[in-house]
Amino acid sequence: MTLIQVVLAAGVILIGVYMYIRLRSTLFDVFLIGLFIISGTLLVLFPEYSNKIAHWAGVGRGADLLFYLSILFLFFLILKLYSRLRRIEQTFTEIVRNKSIEEAEELDKKN
Amino acid sequence: MSDKKSIFVVIPCYNEAGIIRETIAAVIEKGYSTIVVDDHSTDNTKEQLKGLSVIYVRHRLNMGQGAALQTGISLALKKKAEYMVTFDADGQHDVDDIDGMLQKLKEGQFDIVLGSRFLPGAGGNIRTVRKLLLKAACYLNYLFTGILLSDAHNGLRVMNRNAAERIHLKENRMAHATEILKEIKEQGLKFDEFPVHIHYSDYSKKKGQSLLNSVRIFFDLILNKIFD
Repeated sequence: MTLIQVVLAAGVILIGVYMYIRLRSTLFDVFLIGLFIISGTLLVLFPEYSNKIAHWAGVGRGADLLFYLSILFLFFLILKLYSRLRRIEQTFTEIVRNKSIEEAEELDKKN
Repeated sequence: MSDKKSIFVVIPCYNEAGIIRETIAAVIEKGYSTIVVDDHSTDNTKEQLKGLSVIYVRHRLNMGQGAALQTGISLALKKKAEYMVTFDADGQHDVDDIDGMLQKLKEGQFDIVLGSRFLPGAGGNIRTVRKLLLKAACYLNYLFTGILLSDAHNGLRVMNRNAAERIHLKENRMAHATEILKEIKEQGLKFDEFPVHIHYSDYSKKKGQSLLNSVRIFFDLILNKIFD
């Protein structure tokens, strides 16, 4: 086993355990996390498998396939984050708006 | 003719202390109720309003013109307004246009009447560059909403209670102008345009929308298309 394999495998397992501790809400989450740990560790320890999958998908190297998939995944994440950001913005806008309306003052000649 | 006090002019402003008093005094003189929505200005906007009889609302955070307009409209609805007018703070609109727009709204039984700088009968000193940019924005609005108008991003609009109740702006920044069209279409509101007079002073030119802002508006529109 090379050093990079140790680092990556340890990283995958640590992230998986951390996710399990933070989000063990549903069985489906646990399943996804388990899948992530197992497939991640296997691919790190036996990189030739990723090459086989890549060839099967029509991509030259396993690392390239992973790169393409990560771009897709990151783009998806950005969209998800944007939509959450917009929801949060709408929520705080309503809060600030309601507060402002409560505090509206009628100015007149006395002021 | 309904009571002029039930006509609420909503004026969103952000750091317009230099001109706000002049703008608002003209509106008050016409006898309309006036709501000033201060979008967290950092200048002395509030002091400038001394002695004027207006309803003053201030956002605790700067949220953008769309958010300010919605706050003003919500407040006007609460104050039992029958008609609501949106009006820019920078003095570019002509208060005399409001009456004509209201009349059109009532006679044509429209829900909302939008001001246009480009209809026959409109007037003002618009530079060619701005004209072209606005025309491009018209077609962009058409792409996004299916409504083709002669003007885009004109801040002067008149609507009745029905329209105000049904339009709820979620775009906090400048994309609200397109969002209004989208709501008109989705809610099936009856609308038309009305030629208005615009006066771009050196002040309003300085404060107006830059090309860079147009790019930002475009980005907001795309996000709105994706998520709403």
